Amino acid sequence: MIRHLIGLLVLLVAGLVYPWIFPSALTVGVTILLFAGWATAWDILGGWAGQVSLGHASFVGIGAYFVAIGATEYALAPWWSILMAIAVAALLSLAWGRLTFKLHGPYFTLSTIAIAEILRLIAINEDWLTGGATGVFIDWMPTPFGIDLFAREAQYYLALVFAVGVMATIIWISRSRFGYQLRAVREDENSAMAAGIDPTRTKLKAFMLSASLTAVGGGIYGMMLSFLEPHILFYLLLSVQIALTGIIGGRGTIWGPLVGAVLLVSAGEIFRTSFAEANLLIYGILILLVILFLPSGIIGEFNRRLTRRLYARRAQG
Amino acid sequence: MAELVSLLQNLSNGLLIGGVYAMIGVGLTLIFGVMRTINFAHGDFVVMGMYTAFVFNMILGWDPYFSLLVALPAGFLMGVLLERVVLAPIVDKPHETSLLATLGISLIIGNALLLIFGGESKSVHVDYASMALSLGEVKISVILLIAGGVTALVIGGLYLLLHYTEFGRSIRATAENRLGAELVGINTRRIQGAVFGLGMMLAMTAGVALIPLLFATPTATGPILTLKAFVVIVLGGLGRVGAAVAGGLVLGMVEVMGAAYIASAYRDAYGLLFFLIILLFKPEGLFGRSVKRV
Amino acid sequence: MPDALKAEGITVRFGGVVAVDNVSLSLQPKGILGLIGPNGAGKTTLFNAVTGFVPMDSGKVRFFDRDVSSEPPYKRAQAGMGRTFQTERPFEELTVLENVLVSAFLKEPRRKDAEKLAMEMLKRVELDDRYDQPAGDLNLARRRRLELAKALAIQPRVLFLDEVMAGLNPPALREMIGLVRRLSQEGLAILMVEHIMEAIIELSDHVIVLASGQKIAEGTPQEVTSNTQVIEAYLGTE
Repeated sequence: MIRHLIGLLVLLVAGLVYPWIFPSALTVGVTILLFAGWATAWDILGGWAGQVSLGHASFVGIGAYFVAIGATEYALAPWWSILMAIAVAALLSLAWGRLTFKLHGPYFTLSTIAIAEILRLIAINEDWLTGGATGVFIDWMPTPFGIDLFAREAQYYLALVFAVGVMATIIWISRSRFGYQLRAVREDENSAMAAGIDPTRTKLKAFMLSASLTAVGGGIYGMMLSFLEPHILFYLLLSVQIALTGIIGGRGTIWGPLVGAVLLVSAGEIFRTSFAEANLLIYGILILLVILFLPSGIIGEFNRRLTRRLYARRAQG
Repeated sequence: MAELVSLLQNLSNGLLIGGVYAMIGVGLTLIFGVMRTINFAHGDFVVMGMYTAFVFNMILGWDPYFSLLVALPAGFLMGVLLERVVLAPIVDKPHETSLLATLGISLIIGNALLLIFGGESKSVHVDYASMALSLGEVKISVILLIAGGVTALVIGGLYLLLHYTEFGRSIRATAENRLGAELVGINTRRIQGAVFGLGMMLAMTAGVALIPLLFATPTATGPILTLKAFVVIVLGGLGRVGAAVAGGLVLGMVEVMGAAYIASAYRDAYGLLFFLIILLFKPEGLFGRSVKRV
Repeated sequence: MPDALKAEGITVRFGGVVAVDNVSLSLQPKGILGLIGPNGAGKTTLFNAVTGFVPMDSGKVRFFDRDVSSEPPYKRAQAGMGRTFQTERPFEELTVLENVLVSAFLKEPRRKDAEKLAMEMLKRVELDDRYDQPAGDLNLARRRRLELAKALAIQPRVLFLDEVMAGLNPPALREMIGLVRRLSQEGLAILMVEHIMEAIIELSDHVIVLASGQKIAEGTPQEVTSNTQVIEAYLGTE
């Protein structure tokens, strides 16, 4: 616990120092922080509760679109739109989970793709709701305390607060009763029930929390993009990126998604010149390497070994 | 009268497109039946077939169907290789592991094609592309007809292979009960490799048959086709070759009819919606027998 | 004082097969009820029906003064049914202590209290020296005891033991018998399914014999072991 809180503090300090060291790479910073937050939020459902979703782009889209439509149509400040997006994401995931949690393993995963695809088609086709396929352009933002929310720097600090907030949430969960309920449901639903845990309810809570947090990041992402297109925001490949960031870093670990985000986003930057838009190639190669050689992910494998070493040392000493 | 003609036109379109979907689904269901692997790269295999036809057409001016000479053996070999390197080592892991592994393969294929050929869509023009047979006032596209014929040939051939050869019997035995098959001396590891090769070969055949009809875009077309193939095999009942044909036809019909009579913008959504309903309420598929699972 | 457990007319069918056919049983508070029978007799199915893990086709289950017939397994666990699994399934990636912690959280929502309770339960089954070992690394006998600690940590009113003796070597078997007896003396009512006659005879105060899904005999261990039908059922299959 103390270790993790110190880690969080280090992250916060590093995050605050970053803009001074890399002032020209703020966009990369925002991207890393958003993916760290999203992948950590995804991991509540995908890693801690063991339900692999490939539909989380839906919640990114909801967050971004609430901010955009709220600002352009209703002159609504983003914090209010994000609150609404949280509520909608929670309700949607509640209905979504109620419908699909009787499916297990890969069937659940397939159902998330199908639902997210349907939502994408709705976002593309329902002009009255989203502005349709042509997209929405955010042309107004409030200026609280004189802060320009269109400025990359402001967005960077918002993303930092988001990432640190999500990480703090997962640190708290990891120690709490809820965290152990999640792990029990992931490992074996029958054993979990024998311990008095309601698996469906536990998974629903995980999904709702995961979806709401993802929507918050989506809202910040919307401000960063300022031009929103439904076929990109709700797209399967964004869901895939979020999920793979968590899995490569290590499912069901506190630091895995962050490590995954740092690794994948910076690798994408480094190879941008050689791979251009084919940067998902790295995701493909890394996920194969992880599956074949580090099945619990980078941090997951580290933790496994650490637990065994600590036990061995204590048992001998 | 005009309504009847358009209904007949829609029916025949639905049937023919369904035939194409069946061809994509049949390889996927074969792989699932034997390996219990949900092959997320299946659509990208189809796209590789499309690019094979495109390349040989561009360089040597071949008719797309002529490139099957290359696509068939290449597909089989690549499939065997992929199975050996990526899937065989994780055969005992939870099922979602193989889904993630094939998702990785999908990303690698799509992005490698993007690197090599660039992002713009590719197709092959053939002279018979715009030809159509007329049955009264109903027009039937020659290409769809050829694709339907190829589907019938492929599925007929697969049926003969599965039911009248020793190899086919081993495949079916492995699909039914891997342990039992091993006990009677079948090398199930080799069977799984061969089946993945066969599945990839079928997918590339479908790609070759589709290229005069569809545009291929490196990273986008693959996942769309994968999704369609999943819909097909879940509709029909997972793991059964005959059912994939039925599932393909149902999907073709659902899409064409939904687009014609409800709203064409949601053409892709009808299949997905149907897919969800089947998955949730009749997981054994439209044509499967009900099995009580514990 | 009502019965700790009263099941009436339990019937479970799988497809066309009747796995449990109209079986009734009752368990006194502080009693030990043994459920025996040859392989495939329906013992585990009956056990799972009573604890809620297999749906019943007909029948009623009363737990103290509460009808739990239509309640899902986790509600029965919350009511105080603590069970073990025949194929012991620890949460492999969690440590031994964390495994028990999952159950301990049911009655102790605060981490500190739950941890204390879990550690006590580990002491009870003599596994406390391995609290920080990954549970997947335990051997069979220790996994059994971990199962027991998990069941105990929900602070049950009745303990349901599904073949906790199976596959143990003689010394481990003696230890397990001693452990179950100790738990009973501490006041827990116990229902145990067992294939091993020796254990049942030593521990139970009441025994039910199942064969082909039906109750063929019932009584004290002595009555049951002298019953010719029982002897036939056992010798006939083994």
